[in-house]
Amino acid sequence: PSTPEVKKQRKAQKKLLARKLSQEKIRPGTPEPVEGREHVYVQTELYLEEISDRIIEVDGECQTDEFLDRPSTPLFIPAKTGKDVATQIEEGELFDFDIEVKPILEVLVGKTVEQALLEVMEEEELAQLWSHQRAFAELRNAEFAELQRLEEQDRRIREEKERRRLEHLEKLRKQKETAEKVAARAFAQRYLADLIPSVFSNLYDSGFFYDPIERDIETEFLPWLMSEVEETLQKKVLGRMMLDSLIRMVVEKRLDEFSHPPPSHQTEAPAEEPRATDAAPQVSGEADAADQPVAEKEETDQPVAEE
Amino acid sequence: MAQPRISAYLPPDIDPTKAPLAFGRRALPKLNEELQSPELLTQQRALMALCDLVHDPEKVYQAIALGFLDNLKTLLVHHDQTVRQKTTEVLSIIALHSIGRRGLIQNGVLSALTGLLDDPVDICRKNTHQIFDMMAKLPEGAGGVLRAGLISPLVLKLKIELDEIQELILDTLCNCLRVEVSEALAAGAVTVLKEKLSHPSTAIRSKAAWVLLEISSHAEGKIAVCKEGVIPVLVSLLEDTQPEVQVNTTGALMFAAVTPQGRSSAMGAEGIPPLLKLVAEETSKARLNAIKTLTLLAEMPEGRQTLLDHRDTFQRCLDDPREAVQRAAQIAITVIEWKP
Repeated sequence: PSTPEVKKQRKAQKKLLARKLSQEKIRPGTPEPVEGREHVYVQTELYLEEISDRIIEVDGECQTDEFLDRPSTPLFIPAKTGKDVATQIEEGELFDFDIEVKPILEVLVGKTVEQALLEVMEEEELAQLWSHQRAFAELRNAEFAELQRLEEQDRRIREEKERRRLEHLEKLRKQKETAEKVAARAFAQRYLADLIPSVFSNLYDSGFFYDPIERDIETEFLPWLMSEVEETLQKKVLGRMMLDSLIRMVVEKRLDEFSHPPPSHQTEAPAEEPRATDAAPQVSGEADAADQPVAEKEETDQPVAEE
Repeated sequence: MAQPRISAYLPPDIDPTKAPLAFGRRALPKLNEELQSPELLTQQRALMALCDLVHDPEKVYQAIALGFLDNLKTLLVHHDQTVRQKTTEVLSIIALHSIGRRGLIQNGVLSALTGLLDDPVDICRKNTHQIFDMMAKLPEGAGGVLRAGLISPLVLKLKIELDEIQELILDTLCNCLRVEVSEALAAGAVTVLKEKLSHPSTAIRSKAAWVLLEISSHAEGKIAVCKEGVIPVLVSLLEDTQPEVQVNTTGALMFAAVTPQGRSSAMGAEGIPPLLKLVAEETSKARLNAIKTLTLLAEMPEGRQTLLDHRDTFQRCLDDPREAVQRAAQIAITVIEWKP
């Protein structure tokens, strides 16, 4: 029976009980006990039995088992027929590990060792190359230094040569100079050797050595004489010039008078004329008279002047 | 339920820091695109993968053909230090291949690397100097380094950098100065090198001496070396016990003594006795250089006088197995016995 059904039964029983209890209260009961006494329910049967409101109940269930699924049919294994044969790979029958592993191991180890060797060789080669390069660098440096040394030497020698050559040239030049100086000196000496006599002769010729009196006369007397003569001559010349100017004036006046037409003032003119003519003939007479000696003197003057 | 992922753990040989590589020819182009992505993690993973790939020369050739170098140039100035470090590492590995070197020169990466000389991270700087070092070993590379105007910054860095980086700088300088020396002289390289000659580390001393050698192989270098008074320091360094230092010092003296001032300076610094000692040692590597230096000193009359007494040392050098040493000894004897 499922649980809700059981629960329903129990509820129904409780209800019955509840009804019974209520019905029992209504019914008259036994009279009340006397003081000091108590009523007690007692069973008088032979065998006591427990009386309780509660009915002893015993649940009993019955249930059919769940229907199980039909189990699967077992595998049909037919009865064993034939012979039993077993096989097993024993040690050493498939392959011999030690022999077979050899080539593999060889390859593995060989490759590793080869790689290691390669690397070591490379390092060695590199180290060799470096040392080779160092050696070469050393050689190169040494040769370079040698080259520089030789260059230096060569430069020094050339400089030395140059210096010596310059020195030599200097020496030659100085020598030449001294030779020239000596030659010039000798020549000058020779040239100047007869300088003194020639100087003296020149001086003598130019009159540096003189007789003082003669000189005195020459320097003082003769100039004075000459100046006096000159003065006299000048006076003469002056006189002649005066005369010349006089004559000229007269001649010009006459020329003027003769060239001018006779003026309107005849009275004055003839008065002047006669005076002028008076004066003029006188003057001309004098002039004529003086003319000839003057002309002579002029002539003599002119040659003198020409001289 | 079956899933394509077999287990929750990644396979053991996948490196999570590296970007997964596409197959075959597609690997490098894909990495190129990833390098340009705006996300930092992608760039970093792509760079890590690239680092491993560039050990292969064929990949280097392909990378240069694809134009990786421009991308790497832009990444050089990235703000993240891992990116910069990995980029410089990639470039230094590229510089180990000859195609890579050529590509670096053609793309002008050297000038871009100039900015990294002041990087705060040591490894970036070290990688940068490694790149310069590898480049300078080639004549075109040395020309590129000179054209990028790197000499004066390198000389300045020489004063303040770490030791191992100093070694790299000295290597770079000595290869570059073989070509041209005026820039370095203008930057005051001789003074710096003079200090380095007294450095406690052997490698630095020998390399500094080597750089001085290269400087003094040029004429202006010789004048500068004499003026700075480096020759007495070099002579005192001849007493050093390390063979590389000896070799380079004698080489530097050899070149410096070509000029008369250098010679007189070396004589004045009492250079002859240690040089004779070096010549007398049979197995010294510095023998050749020492003989040459003594030859140069013998050009001077006082030198000749002193060395006339030591002619037998040179006679013994004639038995040296190296032909160069024999020749040098012969020349030395001729010069010593020369009478004006």
